[in-house]
Amino acid sequence: MVEQLDQLRRDIEATALDTSEAIDTFRIQYLGRKSGRITDLFQGLKDVPPAEKPAMGHRINAIKVLAEERLEAALQQLKAAAAPSTANLDITLPGRQVPLGSDHPLTQTLWEIQRIFAHFGFDIALGPEIEDDWHNFTALNFPPDHPARDMQDTFFLREGRRDGDAVVLRTHTSPVQIRVMERQKPPIRVIVPGRVYRNESITYKSYCLFHQVEGLYVDEGVTLADLKQILNLFARAIFGNDVVTRLRPSFFPFTEPSAELDIWWRNPALPGGGRWMEILGSGMVDPNVLESVGIDSERYTGYAFGMGVERIAMLRYNIQDIRVFYENDIRFLEQF
Amino acid sequence: MKLSYNWLGDYVAHGLDAAGLADRLTMAGLEVDDVEQRGEALDGVVVGHVLAIQPHPNADRLTLCRVDLGAGEPVPIVCGAPNVAAGQKVAVATVGTTLSLPGRESPDERVAITIKKAKIRGEESQGMICAEDELGLSADHAGILVLDADAVVGQPFAAYLGGKGVALVDYVLDVSITPNRPDAISHIGMARDVAAVGRMPLRRPAVALPIAGGAVLDRISVVIEAPEACPRYVAMVVEGIAVRESPAWLKQRLTAIGLRPRNHVVDVTNYVMYECGQPLHAFDYDQVAGRKIVVRQSQGGESVVTLDSKERKLPENTLLICDADRPVAIAGIMGGENSEVTASTTTVFIESAYFEPSAIRRTARQLGLQTDASYRFERGVDATGQPWAAARAAALISEIGGGTIVPGMVDAHPNAPPERTILMRPARAVRVLGVAIDPAIMVVLLEALGFVVAMGRELQGEPALACTVPGYRPDVEREIDLIEEVARLYGYDKIPLPSHVPVAALAPAVAPETRAMQRAQGYLTGLGFREIYTNSMLSRETAERFNLPVLTAAGHPGAVVETLKPISQEMAALRPSLLPGMLAVMAHNQNHGHDVLRFLEFGHVFSTTAAAGVLVPGYGEHTSLLMAASGPAERVNWTNKERLADFYDLKGIVEGLISRLGLAEVAYIPVYVPTAITLYHLEMWVGGRLAGVLACASNDVRSLYDLKEAVFFAEMNWDVLAAAVPDAAGVNYRPISRFPSVDRDLAVLMDASVQIGAAMADIRVVAGGMLRRLTVFDEYRGDQVPAGKKSVAFGLRFSADRTLQDEEVDRMLARILERLQNEHGAELRR
Repeated sequence: MVEQLDQLRRDIEATALDTSEAIDTFRIQYLGRKSGRITDLFQGLKDVPPAEKPAMGHRINAIKVLAEERLEAALQQLKAAAAPSTANLDITLPGRQVPLGSDHPLTQTLWEIQRIFAHFGFDIALGPEIEDDWHNFTALNFPPDHPARDMQDTFFLREGRRDGDAVVLRTHTSPVQIRVMERQKPPIRVIVPGRVYRNESITYKSYCLFHQVEGLYVDEGVTLADLKQILNLFARAIFGNDVVTRLRPSFFPFTEPSAELDIWWRNPALPGGGRWMEILGSGMVDPNVLESVGIDSERYTGYAFGMGVERIAMLRYNIQDIRVFYENDIRFLEQF
Repeated sequence: MKLSYNWLGDYVAHGLDAAGLADRLTMAGLEVDDVEQRGEALDGVVVGHVLAIQPHPNADRLTLCRVDLGAGEPVPIVCGAPNVAAGQKVAVATVGTTLSLPGRESPDERVAITIKKAKIRGEESQGMICAEDELGLSADHAGILVLDADAVVGQPFAAYLGGKGVALVDYVLDVSITPNRPDAISHIGMARDVAAVGRMPLRRPAVALPIAGGAVLDRISVVIEAPEACPRYVAMVVEGIAVRESPAWLKQRLTAIGLRPRNHVVDVTNYVMYECGQPLHAFDYDQVAGRKIVVRQSQGGESVVTLDSKERKLPENTLLICDADRPVAIAGIMGGENSEVTASTTTVFIESAYFEPSAIRRTARQLGLQTDASYRFERGVDATGQPWAAARAAALISEIGGGTIVPGMVDAHPNAPPERTILMRPARAVRVLGVAIDPAIMVVLLEALGFVVAMGRELQGEPALACTVPGYRPDVEREIDLIEEVARLYGYDKIPLPSHVPVAALAPAVAPETRAMQRAQGYLTGLGFREIYTNSMLSRETAERFNLPVLTAAGHPGAVVETLKPISQEMAALRPSLLPGMLAVMAHNQNHGHDVLRFLEFGHVFSTTAAAGVLVPGYGEHTSLLMAASGPAERVNWTNKERLADFYDLKGIVEGLISRLGLAEVAYIPVYVPTAITLYHLEMWVGGRLAGVLACASNDVRSLYDLKEAVFFAEMNWDVLAAAVPDAAGVNYRPISRFPSVDRDLAVLMDASVQIGAAMADIRVVAGGMLRRLTVFDEYRGDQVPAGKKSVAFGLRFSADRTLQDEEVDRMLARILERLQNEHGAELRR
């Protein structure tokens, strides 16, 4: 029996286990549940005298552990051998490039403006770019001979037979104020993004079209102080908390009192260390405008503001020439 | 308007420096765009007395001077001017003084030089005797400036000039005047705001106002035939004058604000206009035929030669100032050459009138002639200010040029404007402004602007101030106008910021088109598309070329929309499609070395339409989404060859977009007939509406834009797509099947002409809900199949809410095959 065990140990140690077939054969030969040689030894224990049984059991078990360890080691070795070789691998080669897309900087700026005003409960309203004179001018309290109504400044599509009848490319997003107030009663709280047109020659600082975001809030008890605060918060959100602003009186036909918001633009090259830059126009909705859409201007007050998306984007990104927005050069687009 | 800092100081002792004044004006609503310093302070320049001179021993053109500077010993100065002489009083830049001297190349470029003790050709020199250009007074460098004999030796030169009413340093403020502020187009007008904000008095020059009538009526008569256009005409006459050059102080002021001095009469009329805002015109009295002025509208065919020596053909109904025979001026715009004041004029007749703004605006526009006068009349001058301005000018003209003012004045005043009183409720002002301004402060502010304020009235049951509007504020018509004045002068900067932002109790509206747009854009930019913004305007020719049903049928097909009188032919029409703009962008980038050309744009496109229900009758407009690809879909790299984008790249992206948007029921209809701009295309139908087109651009279009590779594009009516996008609440979750799916392949032989899209549609119909995925993994024509045939292999995945049995799937496949056999002549490929 002992000799038999020694022989078995030698056989186990001598068996080559370099293929998965060899490993399978080994497992069946020695550890197989039905006829493995070690299994047979355990079954042979019943014929061993009781006094030798424990010692013999230990020795058989030790051989079993040996076989299992060899099997496990061989499996590990085989697994390692099966793994792909890194010998010819160079993972510093560049990856396969996918084409890169981009959001236009004006869109990114617009989304940022929309995000800020959404926080303050402004919904988004849209309107047509071809607009009638009534919505673009008359309802907004423009007098009949206002210079903006001249072909010099505005693209006309059709001249009017009577007041309000002409058709223009909208010169601002403010006509959407009128369209919103025509279909909705106060409270009204919207911003209006969109493209607007001016009959101007194209230079580094002016283009024949640009984009505006209009804001309108009409409710009971809306004040100029509320306007000042919302504009102040907007400027801080978009230009940083330490932005210095000033609200100064101005004039627009459709707001009264009117105001423009300037921000202090730091520039060490300038005397005084910077200069004031106008970023938007605003004011309290003129009572004539409210009355033109049938809103009681005694009961309701409102504020409105409008800003140029290009202007904000030029300040944000330090762009000097407005034309680059419409040239769409990839070397420009890929920077955003 | 240009504003002189020194000049403004005549009317208000504001105590501000130039920057402070600019800030005060800006915060009062008179925006200062620019502040420019004029002149130099000339510290260190003093009055010197040339005691003796002698020729320089080593230089012919130089002179040695001994100059008394008032303190200490006289100093030696070497001078190069030809006119220096003993006994002269001169301006001396003493040692240590810094002057900015005219540059050698260009006199406009000034160079800072500090005067030092020096030896000039061996002779000691301790200072410089200055010429006018060296002092910044003029460009004159002919010789040194010789001062008055009584100049005080040692006195600072600035004080010497100050004694003559000339300031060395002034600041010119460029002020933007908004259209609602006709009162502010003058120095007094702006001084009024400065004084009101600072709560200090406004000092108007004292002028003896003549009484209407008097001797002047014998000299001139005025007939107003057009009283609507000319409600008031004031005239005064100064006789026995000598027309001369204006004194230094007057020339300096006009020069500062950018006017060229001419003679003292013309200069005074300009000065008074810039002082008080009332345009004046001075006629040579002796040239006014019949001693008579007629104010009338022109008839057809009249013309007049204006002061700028141009003959102006006058449109009918131009308001004219005529003498007994002929027009002598275009009212409110420009005088006539025939009655111009010249050096030989001895009697002047001063016109100070009120012309109706709309009449002047119309004429100025018709003639294309904008003048300082028309600018002010168009906006509305003070309807009560004519006598003051005329009297002020008459006084200055006679003061400077001698002569006597003929007593009295003509005041033709057929239409006196009614006095206006407007009620303003302080409580309403507080409600609009959101700051509790004391009503007493409101009264102070309004009175400072010249409103006469009375208390004790009521409006809408609330106490109100009755404010009588001064003549120079025609813009103030309503309560809100007064509230604005209060806010402006109180100061926007003093309005406190509320601690809370009120938000109306409104349920936030969903903006599905905006949200869907962001989703679509995120998807497309992730696939390498770059968003672009192109011009909505293009040439008519380009617009017509692309105004084809293949592009526009998903919108409002109609004629191209044209703009009237565009500044350029490149902006004569509105785009019917986004395609031409994008093709130009592709060409631009290709020409700058880019080969992967993938772009997207959202934008409005336009057409005329007869359809009802559009916002502006006659015009159709919708948001379009265009995406286009050309050039490599995959770049060459170390494992792959380059692969150019093809139609199926674009189609896959569109199909993905449709899935991403959650759109169901999209049908594609193939069209193999070429159009002018497409080689072939797919119509895209969403919910029974034509929504867009997927196409391969025609070779003509490609060569038009010089594009090297094939161009594939999809243009869609975004409004149609967005309307079909289910909102968040419209998505209905379907529980994920816990049962395994079964994959099968089906390979068939078909006629090569069979459209696979139709076959796939049939497969979907037959398989119904059990079919979870349908792909085409092979399409083959060639040696392995009979001529005229193709082999197509479909991959199908089935699943259901139970475990599918093989037999069930086999039966389904058989039914699909049967359908393909019947409808498309397919046979199973074995």
